[in-house]
Amino acid sequence: MEVAGKVVKEPLVIGHECAGIVEEVGSEVKNVAVGDRVAVEPGVSCWRCDLCKNGRYNLCPDVKFLATPPYHGGLAHQIVHPADLCFKIPDNVTLEEGAMIEPLSVSIHACLRAVAGPDTNVLIVGAGPLGLMTMITARAFGSPKIVIVDVDEQRLAFAESLGADKCVKVSADMKDMAEEVVEMQKAMGGPIDITFECVGFSKTMSTALKATRSGGKVCLLGLGHSQLTVPLTAAAAREVDVLGVFRFKNTYPLCAEFMGSGKIDVKPLITHRFGFSQEEIEKAFEVSAQGGNAIKVMFNL
Amino acid sequence: MGKGGMSHESSADDAQEENMAAWLVAVDTLKIQPFKLPPLGPHDVKVRMKAVGICGSDVHYLKTMQCAHFVVKEPMVIGHECAGIIEEVGSEVRNVVVGDRVAIEPGISCWRCDHCKSGRYNLCPDMKFFATPPIVHPADLCFKLPDNVSLEEGAMCEPLSVGVHACRRANAGPETNVLIMGAGPIGLVALLAARAFGAPQIAIVDVDEKRLAVAKSIGADFCVKITTDVQDVDENVTRILEAMDGEIDITFDCVGFTNTMSTALKATRAGGKVCLVGMGHNDMTVPLTPAAAREVDVIGVFRYKNTWPLCIEFLRSGKIDVKPLITHRFGFSQQDIEEAFETSAKGGSAIKVMFNL
Repeated sequence: MEVAGKVVKEPLVIGHECAGIVEEVGSEVKNVAVGDRVAVEPGVSCWRCDLCKNGRYNLCPDVKFLATPPYHGGLAHQIVHPADLCFKIPDNVTLEEGAMIEPLSVSIHACLRAVAGPDTNVLIVGAGPLGLMTMITARAFGSPKIVIVDVDEQRLAFAESLGADKCVKVSADMKDMAEEVVEMQKAMGGPIDITFECVGFSKTMSTALKATRSGGKVCLLGLGHSQLTVPLTAAAAREVDVLGVFRFKNTYPLCAEFMGSGKIDVKPLITHRFGFSQEEIEKAFEVSAQGGNAIKVMFNL
Repeated sequence: MGKGGMSHESSADDAQEENMAAWLVAVDTLKIQPFKLPPLGPHDVKVRMKAVGICGSDVHYLKTMQCAHFVVKEPMVIGHECAGIIEEVGSEVRNVVVGDRVAIEPGISCWRCDHCKSGRYNLCPDMKFFATPPIVHPADLCFKLPDNVSLEEGAMCEPLSVGVHACRRANAGPETNVLIMGAGPIGLVALLAARAFGAPQIAIVDVDEKRLAVAKSIGADFCVKITTDVQDVDENVTRILEAMDGEIDITFDCVGFTNTMSTALKATRAGGKVCLVGMGHNDMTVPLTPAAAREVDVIGVFRYKNTWPLCIEFLRSGKIDVKPLITHRFGFSQQDIEEAFETSAKGGSAIKVMFNL
């Protein structure tokens, strides 16, 4: 009943990765019309504080984010939401893909922060949903070579099918780290410019800091442990910078564009589907919690 | 290593005086011994060294014969914070002439690798960075001092460069309130640099009241005495935020311990930057995840690049005054060098110990 210090004190509607059809519009709404298929950006920022005014609205201390207590989420028949946070999706993009824009946005935001591009070889630590989406996003940004690592062979096989150049299986044991870093660098066949850490443990973050080339960047996306034991000084003394990522900002149009053009295909990541009944919601959460071969579990309403 | 080597015999046919230098020969053993110079290349200059400062890394080499991953395998001439007078110039040298007073940038990069070609030459894997007082050195790494800047201030350009590079990497400016962890030599040059870059409010913290007093005298807005206990991190953060008039945009950790880094990560505002300058502990257990989840970035700093001209300008205009940081002075004798290093190693009231040759 809590995540990262946010506590659920009263019953809360869940769900924040949403897409749907506009049913009614307020009198001043100009950007969408009834019947439009839209992806919903969940965070309503205040638009008055310094962070909002400087464009970093994802960091707004007063943001009202769907399904972050005390604000209700979107797993419901209907919700009411600001129109400027609803983005039309192209005809060739499904509503399921529209819902995927939310998690994909985290990867897009990370790639923007880290300046992924045609010059940057990318290492991805963790082949879960976040790592996989970040991988396909980095590719869409033009990264020439992408190496992905995980402890789970099946997830690595899946990553390969989605376009990873090389996959490296690693252990959860700290003592294997030095050897694994060498393996990753060999697999890359050149310096690692950016590492996206999509797990968030001491070993994975230490790996990221060691494997990245001097002057490169480590983007910490994974929210694993809070306190991490890492060789931070050695990394700082090679000017390996650590960039944080919190949700996203101004990513929905770009996501819709990537999906519409086919540059990013998130459909393979939707592994399980459920309807909207008491039994199904319970089953769906169980499946998602188990991880393994469940990447993205989707409700169709 | 710098240009030059151990001379095994005095050159009887050499009409000039023998060149002497301070050699690190073993742990805790410094000896003033001959230092044979190589011939001058077309792009080199010969410099008569006048002012050399002691760096914490020099002390570390003295105590342990190593610093980070650099290991001293053979006797090595020590000292890299230098300024002197040009004595001889190579045939292709255009930027300086004999008699010029110059500050010296110690690191010779390869100028062929990707890092060098993209301007991040401080990260060159084949960098020749010596602890040597470079007597013969590439002319392009010697920077003329204006008449109103002393040779001692010239030698201070090297440590000041670390502060300047950190301010650039962290984008310090008229809009960034700054917190500095540690009021030692590096914290103090970071303070001077941040002020020169225009930081409106600067808070500095340390465990040592005397060092905080020095910081206050050179322009810190807020000084906060803190403790080293890890359990006091949250309390220290509260006290720092209370003292600071507003949010902290950039924190320069000029200590580099678990508790200073934890404090930095917690005290810096969402979207801000923590610049890790200090080389203290290597493995740190820090609240990295909550910081990353507030997009507090951690910026690394390794030495400097393209900082000498800016440092010299800051000194010329008076925007930065490094003279208060030079607390102890020594001459160039066996006894002097031993005492000088002892003084520097003790820390405390010794900020920058300077040799005058």
